[in-house]
Amino acid sequence: MSTLSQRPRPRTRLSLRQGRRGLLYLALLGGGLIWLYPFLWALGSSLKSTDGFFSGGLNPIPSEFHWSNYSEAWTQADFSRFFVNTVLFATGTVIVTLLATSMAGYVLARTEFPGKKIWLGLVGVTLFLPHGYTIIPVFDLIQRLHLLNTLWSVVIVQSAGGMVFGTFLFMGYFTTIDRGLEDAARVDGANFHQIFWRIMLPLSGPMLATVGLFACINAWNSFFIPLVFTLSRPELHTLSVGMFNFIGQNSTAWTLVCAGSVITLLPIVLIFIVLQRFFINGLAGAVKQ
Amino acid sequence: MSLLDTRERKRASPTPPRAAAHPGLGQRIRAAKWSYLYLAPMAVLLLAFVVYPIFASFGYTFYRWNGIGAPGDYVGLANFRQILHDSIFWGAVGHTFVYAFVLVPVQLLLALALALVLNNPKLKFALFFRTVYFIPVVTSAAVVGVVIQLMLANFGDSAGSLLAKTGMTNGHIDWLGNPHTALAVIIAIGIWHTLGYNLVYFLAGLQTIPAELYEAAKLDGCGPVQSFFRITIPLLRQVGVVIVVLAFIGSFQVFDLVQVLTGGGPYFATEVVNTYIYHLAFGGSAGAAAEPDIGLASAASFLYGLLLIVFSALQVLALRGISRRRAAADQ
Repeated sequence: MSTLSQRPRPRTRLSLRQGRRGLLYLALLGGGLIWLYPFLWALGSSLKSTDGFFSGGLNPIPSEFHWSNYSEAWTQADFSRFFVNTVLFATGTVIVTLLATSMAGYVLARTEFPGKKIWLGLVGVTLFLPHGYTIIPVFDLIQRLHLLNTLWSVVIVQSAGGMVFGTFLFMGYFTTIDRGLEDAARVDGANFHQIFWRIMLPLSGPMLATVGLFACINAWNSFFIPLVFTLSRPELHTLSVGMFNFIGQNSTAWTLVCAGSVITLLPIVLIFIVLQRFFINGLAGAVKQ
Repeated sequence: MSLLDTRERKRASPTPPRAAAHPGLGQRIRAAKWSYLYLAPMAVLLLAFVVYPIFASFGYTFYRWNGIGAPGDYVGLANFRQILHDSIFWGAVGHTFVYAFVLVPVQLLLALALALVLNNPKLKFALFFRTVYFIPVVTSAAVVGVVIQLMLANFGDSAGSLLAKTGMTNGHIDWLGNPHTALAVIIAIGIWHTLGYNLVYFLAGLQTIPAELYEAAKLDGCGPVQSFFRITIPLLRQVGVVIVVLAFIGSFQVFDLVQVLTGGGPYFATEVVNTYIYHLAFGGSAGAAAEPDIGLASAASFLYGLLLIVFSALQVLALRGISRRRAAADQ
């Protein structure tokens, strides 16, 4: 590089470099198009007619627009119900996760109590244990609590899976908040609860967004947990489980399946694009710790 | 100054109450009652649904149990024996390891290359490209699997006829129905689906490297290749270890993609451990026994868990050893 810059004829060098940069943009754009191709294809195919679907092959552009696929998927294939279930499930998971992890993160970061170190150690250990394989006792526990085949069971089990990650993020965040703030509030007569709910929690807006977004995306995409806990109750199925079942029962309605995919994928992709700052920051912070 | 500051602050903070010289344990617990209450929801959820199941699943391994009522048919170690002699189980372990050991290196190399490109401060629209390449991460593996299955049903023929022209095959390729190609397709989709995570991790790691280092290297006559191997790679080591461990943990738990794309078939060619356990516990596979067997599934889970713990420990030790040796060599 440095030897190159000492050579004369700067103009050709510049255009060469510009050309190379242009190629790089072209490669990134082309790669991105290929990268997102499955989504574009699903979007296009969701508007095709059944014949057009088969003759269109890999071409994502429909010859005519069949918006009726969406209304059919929404009403006849029950995607409206799956959608409502998924929204309820995701909302419940976000609320439970935010409440439990912010409170735990606060007391672990800002108060001292006997057993704190032991608890932190235990929490750390669970991070390293593979717990994807413990679904059976969880199933048994939910059965004994008479929660099987309820939306509650899915919310609770899904939230429990996000406890450690969220608590650590909140813990890290609350340690950075100036202690003087708490002390001042205490001097003004605020008690423990007022300090947390009126001062600390409102201050943790960005972290609420990060942890909430993680919980929301994970819940929206969750497949295994809702599959296991609502297996025999189709009216409780979420979008991903409903889709899985729909294919099992209607192996030919492919345009409806594509419409269902778009109904499932589009909301969460939009939520991500709008709020990605919080998501990316959370990930980056977690790996750097 | 700063030391004094923190010490003073600690003393000023009323929780914990340090006014009494050495309050008893009971007294300290009572004083921290609100801390326990605030910790309780998280603690209960974690203990009930993460910690307890690890121990409980071990208890089921001694019973033949279909999951209904209380387990009663004690069989001793028979479940373990049966799993250890089950070629499908070992096949599933093998497939999972193939999945992980192909996916992780390929995905990490691709993600690192992309991160290096996107980390260039002169690159315009870097944020846009990051978003584009990250989007698959936030989409449901189950639904993406369905879409790709549909695409492959179409693409299979287009690509198949292309290959036929070159004389390699005789036309139609059923990518997911063919035991020789199904696992490869699943791995490729797996690489695509979660690459964004590693891209963001690597970008975060790259951003911790001070730009002055590269400038200094340039002044010293270092080329881009040299500064990549002498600056970028060594300084990414710490983040890199975390990335590798996380990538392996994730790939060993693969389930959604396989369940949706092939259900473990054809002829168990893509059966991974999590789908194997699922089929034992809840039925639903063409080859699995019709009657669910929670005891057998728990035994398989437990053995796999042991295997993963051993592997994780070895991995952490190996990575630590490598980075320590490299650090020593650098000095």
